[in-house]
Amino acid sequence: MNFDLTDQQKLVRRSVRKFAEEVLAPVAPIFDREAKYSHEIVEELSKINAWGIQLPEKYGGANLDSISYAITIEEISRICASTALMLTVHNSVGAYPLYKWGTEEQKEKYLYDIATGKKISGFSWTEPNAGSDAQGIECIMVQDGSDFVLNGSKIFVTNGAIGSALLIGTRYKTKDGQKGIATVILDKDMEGYEIGQPEDKLGMRGNITTSLYFHNIRVPGENILGKLDDGFRIAMQTLDAGRIGIAAQALGIAQAAYEHSVEYSRGRIQFKRPISQFQGISFKLAEMATKIDAARLLVYRASYLKDHGARYSKESAMCKYYASEVAKEVTQEALQIHGGYGYMKDLPLERYYRDVAVTSIYEGTSEIMKLIIAQHILRGNL
Amino acid sequence: MLKIFVLIKQVPSLHSLEIDKTTGTLIRDGIENIINPDDLYALELGLNLKDQYGAEVTAMTMGPPQAEFALRECLAMGIDHGILITDPMFAYSDTLQTTLVLKEAFDNIEEYDIIITGSQTSDSSTGQVPYQLSEALDIPLITDIFTLEINDRMIYSHRNFGHESQHIETALPILLRVTRHFNEPRHTSLLGIKNAFKKDIQIIDFNTLNCPEHLDGCNKSPTLVVKTEKIVLKRKNEVIDGTIREKIQKLINFMQEHGIERIWTGEQKNE
Repeated sequence: MNFDLTDQQKLVRRSVRKFAEEVLAPVAPIFDREAKYSHEIVEELSKINAWGIQLPEKYGGANLDSISYAITIEEISRICASTALMLTVHNSVGAYPLYKWGTEEQKEKYLYDIATGKKISGFSWTEPNAGSDAQGIECIMVQDGSDFVLNGSKIFVTNGAIGSALLIGTRYKTKDGQKGIATVILDKDMEGYEIGQPEDKLGMRGNITTSLYFHNIRVPGENILGKLDDGFRIAMQTLDAGRIGIAAQALGIAQAAYEHSVEYSRGRIQFKRPISQFQGISFKLAEMATKIDAARLLVYRASYLKDHGARYSKESAMCKYYASEVAKEVTQEALQIHGGYGYMKDLPLERYYRDVAVTSIYEGTSEIMKLIIAQHILRGNL
Repeated sequence: MLKIFVLIKQVPSLHSLEIDKTTGTLIRDGIENIINPDDLYALELGLNLKDQYGAEVTAMTMGPPQAEFALRECLAMGIDHGILITDPMFAYSDTLQTTLVLKEAFDNIEEYDIIITGSQTSDSSTGQVPYQLSEALDIPLITDIFTLEINDRMIYSHRNFGHESQHIETALPILLRVTRHFNEPRHTSLLGIKNAFKKDIQIIDFNTLNCPEHLDGCNKSPTLVVKTEKIVLKRKNEVIDGTIREKIQKLINFMQEHGIERIWTGEQKNE
């Protein structure tokens, strides 16, 4: 078992870190404070192929392995978690299912624009009455000729305001009364597609989350991803991939909080010495370092399994649940280490603390992750 | 098609500098190594010339085996080829030895149109190699340029010269030493990184170069590093207080005492 990163992966970390520090660091606090994102950033990100990290070069993607992907998301998240969220949702639950289950026509139609960031993607499933209870969605599309007519709404849509090629999950009813759940591709220019107001959030404020409302949208047959009743299966498998991205995102936030804590504790003098010399503080740093390292290894392991075509649902659920919970602990301790200063908005600690809270909630709550892991265990997959 | 060579050096990241007490040189093992920051401007110029005129750009470096990673970083930026000149024989070479080895390399390469270097390295800060190499290869060196144009194997450039500027025209081949912040180095793309590992890096050693014996590094370098130490600069602080008039008068007295005629406060004005 080789625990070393390849030269390519090391280069990815170095290059993305440099990009994040130079391009994103100046704007991250502004995105948070003003709850906005910038189109310039979308363009800067497309210059480094961040919109098609794992898509084939034919579409303009970088065709990188999953560990390189996790590294990219982590490094961006370390500086701006909101931007990392925009990217990981686009790449993992937008581009990935389109590439994996799309027909040649669908790939031709969407992937070139998606890889370059001209069209931003995502996957919206959550509804007012369906969060963890994924099967409880109420959006419904009824067959009419070769099309379906879609009605319903989605809530808490990441990339909702800017996404122009979003996947959504919906119930369907065919002419002959067949029912099930489908995944369809929606274009924001479709008639009847309404974008709701941006939500006012605790964290990830640079990522614009909205509701979506569907008023009799005509969904052509060619916008259905996979087979009609594949919808739920596609969503579940997509989330396996998505969770690696979310875990990497949580990891980046934790890493930033931890690095700040080390630096602060070296410089802060109390009782005539740096507080890092007190075990009360240095032990916290040791715990942070260990947990972050463990979380990172879980993320890399899940990535490795995915790339090798192995089943990785359990490992992906583990890395997401663990990384997000670790990130919450680390950011809390980091805030504590920084004392009063950490509580002030002059420092980014409070932003890390706020940003991280949602990582144990979206793309499957920690509770659902444990459910998945337990199911695997009890089925004999210890 | 222009043949451009960018000379780079891999240096230790400034965050992690440690000094070997016996040899007096920097400890390079186990430290994060980066492309010398000034070289990024040279690489960017090479890539710009490629975009503008069409060129084959090669990054070349003389260093230990781990310098290959620095060349990979260059390839990831869009550079076409890499050449690593490495041999235990070249260890501890000073700038003159380095130049003479580079000269052998360029004599072997034979065809080159533009050689570009950065201003100076962050670990030695001599900035000597471009000047020495220009002499060794007997080609013109232009430093501190702010505009350049290439046409029909001629270069037309403007360079800074104190408070003046010079217009220099000369035929290729030419050596350019690029000033810090001359341009804005591009960010490495993920696709660039993927492609970097498909490109070739040529490794050249002492024997391949047919080096004359005298080019064996430490023993034969005319200069030897005796000691390296960190210099800590402490500014002298003086607080001037009093009323505004008193403070201004004290400042004027101080300036007169120290023969200071003018203080630049930021923007340079042409007076």
